[in-house]
Amino acid sequence: MSRIGVFVCHCGLNIAKTVRVSELAQFAATLPDVVVAKDYKFMCSTPGQEMIANDIKQHKLDRIIVTACSPLMHEQTFRKVLAASGLNQYLLTIVNIREQVSWVTHDIEEGTAKAKALLNGAVYRARLLAPLTSRVIDVNPDVMVIGAGIAGIQAALELANTGKKVYLVEKNSTIGGHMAQFDKTFPTLDCSACILTPKMDSILQHKNITMLTSCEVSEVKGFVGNFDITIRQKARYVDHGKCNACLACTEKCPGKGVSEWDEGLVKRKAIYIPFPQAVPQKPVIDRDSCTFFKKGKCRLCEKVCEQKAIDFDQQDTFIQVKAGAVILATGYDLMDTKPLIQYGYGKYPGVYNALEVERLFNSAGPTGGKVTMRDGREPQAIAVLHCIGSRDKNNSEHCSRVCCMYSLKFAHLFKEKTSADVYQFYIDMRAAGKGYEEFYNRIIGEDVKFIRGKGARVAQSPDEEGRLIVEAEDTITGKFIKVPVDMVVLSPAMVPRADSRDIARLFNLSTDKQGFFMERHPKLAPLSTMSEGIFIAGVCQSPKDIPDTVAQANGAAAEALTIVVKDKMELEATTAMVNPASCCACQNCVRVCPYGAPFFNESKGVSEINEALCKGCGLCASVCPSSAIIARHFTNDQVLAEMEGLMEF
Amino acid sequence: MTSSFKSIEENLKAEAGKLLESGRVEIVLAYGRGYDENHPMPFVAKHPSDVANMVFNEYCIHNLARYLVRYPRGTKIAVAVKAADCRAVIQLIQEEKIKRDDVVFLGIPVYGMKNPKTGEIIDSKTTCGMYNPVLYDVLLGEEVHGQKIVSPYDVLADYEAMDKEARWAFWKKEFDRCIRCYACRKACPMCYCDPCFIDQSKPRWGDKSPQSHGNLMYHLTRFHHLAGRCIDCGECSRACPVDIPLYLFHKKVAKECEEMFGQAAGMSIDDKPALVNFRVDDSDKILE
Repeated sequence: MSRIGVFVCHCGLNIAKTVRVSELAQFAATLPDVVVAKDYKFMCSTPGQEMIANDIKQHKLDRIIVTACSPLMHEQTFRKVLAASGLNQYLLTIVNIREQVSWVTHDIEEGTAKAKALLNGAVYRARLLAPLTSRVIDVNPDVMVIGAGIAGIQAALELANTGKKVYLVEKNSTIGGHMAQFDKTFPTLDCSACILTPKMDSILQHKNITMLTSCEVSEVKGFVGNFDITIRQKARYVDHGKCNACLACTEKCPGKGVSEWDEGLVKRKAIYIPFPQAVPQKPVIDRDSCTFFKKGKCRLCEKVCEQKAIDFDQQDTFIQVKAGAVILATGYDLMDTKPLIQYGYGKYPGVYNALEVERLFNSAGPTGGKVTMRDGREPQAIAVLHCIGSRDKNNSEHCSRVCCMYSLKFAHLFKEKTSADVYQFYIDMRAAGKGYEEFYNRIIGEDVKFIRGKGARVAQSPDEEGRLIVEAEDTITGKFIKVPVDMVVLSPAMVPRADSRDIARLFNLSTDKQGFFMERHPKLAPLSTMSEGIFIAGVCQSPKDIPDTVAQANGAAAEALTIVVKDKMELEATTAMVNPASCCACQNCVRVCPYGAPFFNESKGVSEINEALCKGCGLCASVCPSSAIIARHFTNDQVLAEMEGLMEF
Repeated sequence: MTSSFKSIEENLKAEAGKLLESGRVEIVLAYGRGYDENHPMPFVAKHPSDVANMVFNEYCIHNLARYLVRYPRGTKIAVAVKAADCRAVIQLIQEEKIKRDDVVFLGIPVYGMKNPKTGEIIDSKTTCGMYNPVLYDVLLGEEVHGQKIVSPYDVLADYEAMDKEARWAFWKKEFDRCIRCYACRKACPMCYCDPCFIDQSKPRWGDKSPQSHGNLMYHLTRFHHLAGRCIDCGECSRACPVDIPLYLFHKKVAKECEEMFGQAAGMSIDDKPALVNFRVDDSDKILE
């Protein structure tokens, strides 16, 4: 015989609106083993919690059922009440009558009936619950940050400054990310390199940071507090330990490749450093453009290298890293605008995308900071087209948030560097941010022509060779207009990295419709994910500007710190175990477990479970044909009893 | 050209003798005499002298893969396998119940096996309808070619034409006849759970007496436990003393699995069991 207390929460009107809560409490009182049943306006409030604690004492309750919101919200709150009252915290059952009942119906009859059914099941199950003991595990104090753009750099520095050891993983040969490609940053127009390169240098110098460039994550094992991550370091064909960055090799190299750094606007050598302030300041060889790898002859770089740092036999290596928490800051790709054939990107040399223009402005860029087009001309008229692919139900429905502001920045820089007429084709001007509206007003005063209407088409001018016509509807005058220009700049949508879904799979994250990483809660937990110990920062979560990205990076660093600051952590006791007498050795559990917890013990001929790895998801128990696996807290008996209770309705 | 049963028997004896004498295997699973010509039995040879008692004729229908899992892991075993039997061994290797190195496949290409109960030739109606083993170490006869290839799923046409209610009525009627002798489970090479879910008492998954409810629970669960694993040898249906056409359900499930995951059970030792293997390109049809 158990002594069950049922506590029905109104959640203000959230629940009470579509569930007759007092009727539910009266119904609960009639159920077997229920000693006390009450309803209250806010069960999670201090008086609500005190009511539960008092009833536990007064009625000697040994099972508590709270019918309220999702256990994600308040399971911990009520567990603490149980623990403080001397009850094992696993003797609590939460019945979710908010998200699963009141919020999915408008019909109070329907809502009350479903709530009763769920409660009946919970009472049946509660009677079979057993006390469980949480596990305490050691926590690895290090943190891994993946992606070394401004988000990753910021998070790594913050963490390293607290004394924690940080592994900063970057897939390119230099850290810096997109921000290192920019010339100026809005709205203050300060030089991007001037504010970023000191941070890049701090990464290099910091004794607590291990920088892993040309690296990608290839495997993730383990769980919060104890991740075990395999990093693949791509062959660079240069021994960075020996290289003294004299760069004689890059001078002699006859190979030519397309410069990724300059967005393909110029060529670079086959052995190269992407840009002068690259960190680390060490060259790498690009296999695809290297004469030796293509033709089997050359090795000029090897001949000129006094340090003997060139190593054509270098192979990809695998590095094992352990970390207690992980921050993902993998950034974004710019949407490929070639498929939007109406804009002629890739067809007309006068059409550029935003990142290409960033490089044109940059003094370290392909033109040395001069605005000259692919054919060498200086443009006389320039059109900047907002919302290319963004806010477009055929492409990306989201607003990319930064395009309005950087398009204004482009206008300013064009005005500063050329004598061209600058046209802005926009749908709405979105300038929500500190100093952004002021920046917009400043640009309005700079003789920039604003046309409220999305650029619809870019076509070759029929009259003048090399001149383009931008077609749009000016929605203020309602007139269809054609504007002749020399240069068109597209401001494309920011989209998730091409491999974002692979990364999500590695770390067990979900992604939204676009492929951006899903946060645990859009408002209250925007930096954590449903995978404990994995945090996200920057544009990999959703498009945002540099200030927001930096703020998120700091936040993610703080969240990661809450895990690695402790030496030990408590894990849920809800793990699975194998009854060896029933195990039929089919090893289905080993195959389906996403965490690698079950393993096959050859000598005993049965499966066993490594409880440290088990997250209690129950997959193994559900595929076990001989029901040898018991998922603690969700045993077959408990689940079947709950179903029996449900089906009585 | 099809080898005669007699010549297969001779080859079987010779190969079994060689394997046992050389110590390559400890056990040969094959067929021996039963109470008459029409009822040969599974036979275990452990000594070279045992092979004289082996037989092979058109009634040697048993799927000997059934017996592999009875021996301790690592036992070296040679097993006589016809086409479907061979797929069962491959499936067991996929499920890591046995290791490829521990098994010697004595492949038997054959046409014209007969059901001892009815005397009818066993074809794709009740089995996978293949003639040659997909994998073997030794072939005990010439490969069968020139026979008509019939899809094992053709027999489902009438069944699939039934609507939901008719199917329910059909199976209810069939399962009501079940006497719960568990011969289907005993004959099945993939039913190796010990204890079987239906024999458990905590929780009690289904009634153990031959009543409608328990019968339904037993058969439907067994069908699902065999989804993507049944290699369509038809032994369950032949073992059934009341002739429940179990093969129909197994074929239907196998067909859906094959359509969904693009892989039939037991066709390659490099495959992974379809239902417990996640692939990024897996069909989402099941969620619709």
